[in-house]
Amino acid sequence: MPLTKRIIPCLDVKDGVVVKGVCFRNLKSVGDPPTLAVAYQDQGADEIVFLDVKASLAGAETLRSAVQKTAENLFIPLTVGGGIRLFNDVRLTLKAGADKTSVNTAAVQDPSLISKCANAFGSQCIVVAIDAKRVGDSWEVYTRSGTQPSGLDAIEWAKEVCDRGAGEILLTSMDADGTKMGYDIALTRTVVRAVGVPVIASGGCGTIDHVVEVLTKGEADAALAASIFHYGQHTVGEVKRILESKGVPIRKGVVA
Amino acid sequence: MKISIMDYGVGNLHSISKGIERAGSQVRVISNPEDLLSSDCIVFPGVGAFGAAMDTLRPILPQLRERIKSGVPTIGVCLGMQILFEKSEESPGAGVAVLKGEVLKLKGPRIPQMGWNDVVSTGDALFEGVPDGTQFYFANSYVCRPAESVEIAESEYGQRFPSAVRKGNTFGVQFHPEKSGAPGLRLLSNFVRLAEGSM
Repeated sequence: MPLTKRIIPCLDVKDGVVVKGVCFRNLKSVGDPPTLAVAYQDQGADEIVFLDVKASLAGAETLRSAVQKTAENLFIPLTVGGGIRLFNDVRLTLKAGADKTSVNTAAVQDPSLISKCANAFGSQCIVVAIDAKRVGDSWEVYTRSGTQPSGLDAIEWAKEVCDRGAGEILLTSMDADGTKMGYDIALTRTVVRAVGVPVIASGGCGTIDHVVEVLTKGEADAALAASIFHYGQHTVGEVKRILESKGVPIRKGVVA
Repeated sequence: MKISIMDYGVGNLHSISKGIERAGSQVRVISNPEDLLSSDCIVFPGVGAFGAAMDTLRPILPQLRERIKSGVPTIGVCLGMQILFEKSEESPGAGVAVLKGEVLKLKGPRIPQMGWNDVVSTGDALFEGVPDGTQFYFANSYVCRPAESVEIAESEYGQRFPSAVRKGNTFGVQFHPEKSGAPGLRLLSNFVRLAEGSM
């Protein structure tokens, strides 16, 4: 039996509230992080990702307090990202109750941060988030919540972060994000085949079929989604039942 | 019964503390390893690296080994399970060595193993109420290879490996029960009950 494919609801948090927007803009409020996190846990979510979208709380006490409240009643893994810059931010975020921390901009600016954190906390704690935008036949890495092109090729960067000790890649297609037109399958599969660590696909989920597609054709280990869950379109349980009917291995024993 | 969770100074101890509290037991997180020597029950959590964790424990290692061997209920989670063995490929230096065997790099399709995997138990009381083949959450790059017969559950990820071990009152689990939802909480509560029963 292989590992089950993971379904990960994403909490995009701004000023302590879960929001959802299109292409990182036009953010609308949908609820508070601890309530949504527990609701998704009860529905059978395999993990929760908490992203401080505009790094609005970055490095601050308020972020850690929001993480602490979210972790309070959570007994599944919690990944926290957004504005994490320094070694000490990683340490304090884990201490606040995160199981993994996700870094993007800080890793591009100083790639040695990845190995430093992986050595201290273990690779399994260090997720590198890659926001990729298609440029011709390849994809470029963007930083600062998708506002700044880095000049790095996404596939080469994915390989490098693994060499430096990243334990997982959270891959967001900026072209697909917020469109609800489906994940970027080509990008996902290319990264999955280029690296040896698990890859979480993100950006573009609008239907259950999109989840099926990215976990099969896209070969992703996990699918991240926000709006299909936040607006009550589907529960995690519904997504899993469809996945199971299509022969995709999922975690059982949780119904909702 | 006072349960001590050893803090090696890195990582998240929140969930393991809450998980054990839910089982109805008092928990204290300790950062001075000397305090382990007066604990009724010891938890080695699953965060950090082998070498760093052993550096924390080294000053009290002979006494700690004696205390665990004398039957003080102990559970190691993930890395905490691995340090119960004699040595690891991850870092040089000895482990706590209350279990015979070593820790080796996991050879699986994608490393770390990150996610939910089937656990098949032999029916030990630690798994009471947990249906066979229940999935637990793993996040590991290394696995244990016991040199004595201690395996009480196994899993497979590119290779078969022991996902839980037991020798008397010493337990180890390669997965994270505190991150494995309801079945994980049940397992922690089973451990607390077994620990209380041994007093």
